Amino acid sequence: MRSQASSRVRSVLALLALLSGGAGAASLTVFAASSLTDAFTEIGRAFDTKTGNHTTFSFAGSQALRTQLTQGARADVFASANAAQFEPLVQAGLISAGQPFARNRLTVITPAARPQVQTLADLARPSLKLVIADRNVPAGEATRRALDLITASGTYGNDFASRVLKNVVSEEPNVRQVALKVQLGQADAALVYVSDVTPALRKSVRTVGLPTRFNPAVTYPIGVLRASTNPEAAQAFVQFVRSPEGQRILRKWGFLSAP
Amino acid sequence: MAAFLLLPVLVLLAQGLHTGFLTTLRTPAVLDALRVSAVTTGSALALTLMLGTPVAYLLARRRFPGRTVLDALLDLPLVLPPVVAGVALLLTFGRSGLLGRPLELAGIELAFTPAAVVLAQLFTSAPFYVRAAKAGFLAFNPDVEAAARVDGAGSWATFSRVTLPLALPFLLEGAVLAWARSLGEFGATLLFAGSLQGQTRTVSLAIYSAMESDLAPALVLSTVMVVLAFAVLFTLRVIAGKHS
Repeated sequence: MRSQASSRVRSVLALLALLSGGAGAASLTVFAASSLTDAFTEIGRAFDTKTGNHTTFSFAGSQALRTQLTQGARADVFASANAAQFEPLVQAGLISAGQPFARNRLTVITPAARPQVQTLADLARPSLKLVIADRNVPAGEATRRALDLITASGTYGNDFASRVLKNVVSEEPNVRQVALKVQLGQADAALVYVSDVTPALRKSVRTVGLPTRFNPAVTYPIGVLRASTNPEAAQAFVQFVRSPEGQRILRKWGFLSAP
Repeated sequence: MAAFLLLPVLVLLAQGLHTGFLTTLRTPAVLDALRVSAVTTGSALALTLMLGTPVAYLLARRRFPGRTVLDALLDLPLVLPPVVAGVALLLTFGRSGLLGRPLELAGIELAFTPAAVVLAQLFTSAPFYVRAAKAGFLAFNPDVEAAARVDGAGSWATFSRVTLPLALPFLLEGAVLAWARSLGEFGATLLFAGSLQGQTRTVSLAIYSAMESDLAPALVLSTVMVVLAFAVLFTLRVIAGKHS
């Protein structure tokens, strides 16, 4: 009887140890841009296997995560899809200076079942249903910048950007929602990151490349929040993301290495 | 508990009425959201009344095979998470959904239009009205209708002069609840209709979008929603007062 009870106590203790992650292991909360969903999920698994930590992610538009952090949300690491949503946190003293860890470019996608866009000029065709990210979303900001660059080149006319923006039927809260609208065939075309065309998406969409001169790479910064309760583990995660292994996973998911 | 339920609303009101309420109220983003919400919820309510009243009446008065099952199933959208409603609507009315092709051939464009917003609102709010209206039709003895008919009233006269006035408080209550539900619709709308200022960006979507950049419009719109919520409660009280 007694041995049975003590073995039960032991197994409960073992379970508790397992739940708390054992000695030296920490629970990490990482806020990351939507576009990082697949890459960071894999990086998190590799990091946890290596270090025994337990990393959980909150993926959303960088601007939404920034708002949450400003309003006092608890996190250890923040990875943003551009500096514009990261720097205000640095200035507010909430986060250490950002370290660049990846770059990304935009591409045009259109449903594979009925591709409506063959060339960039088609984006300005009247009645095309185009979906882009909201202007506060890094992908949305990059989209508007790319359209301005195309317009400035004069190749597609001086009113290209305004004609394209007339076709916008929805401005989504994050880049994955933008990609979804094309995947479902609701929209005729969308502008997303190259990395958003994941193996899962590749089957249902066709991409139309955006030349580099219209498509400056956006740089992703990452940093440890000052309020982190596990600054060492958080720093280790940042280092892992920037390590050759982390970079390999990011490249695998379509990102470019940081400069 | 009371403090927990009321404090956030009071804090919101205090903050919302502070930050140059009227100036922000007049910005295009806020006005567009209010207009989109007024038009879409108005249309959804009209459709609910037109299509929901006969259904509620049939469920209350007629016995037909499958009535209980239908009755129970019509409540489904009440308990379904709105985002699931959005997925279901996409799979049915989306461009590559079940009815996408036929609708397109018929020249009906739903994707990213205010009509898609109305559909999302109708789907999630109509059951509130149907439930209340059914209760209304069951709240009095059908013999009253029979008596009216015996006295020579036609079926339309019976319905409009006898049935409707007797069930009216319930119908009003259901209409107010359904309208409030469609005003708050978020998940299904975002998924099914997208979000574009002046087209499909309702008050709820505009609050969500503004929260991520400029807090002021979000606070003002939230304040408007709180005031409307008070109005809804007040109306329901008045109706309930007439009941008894």
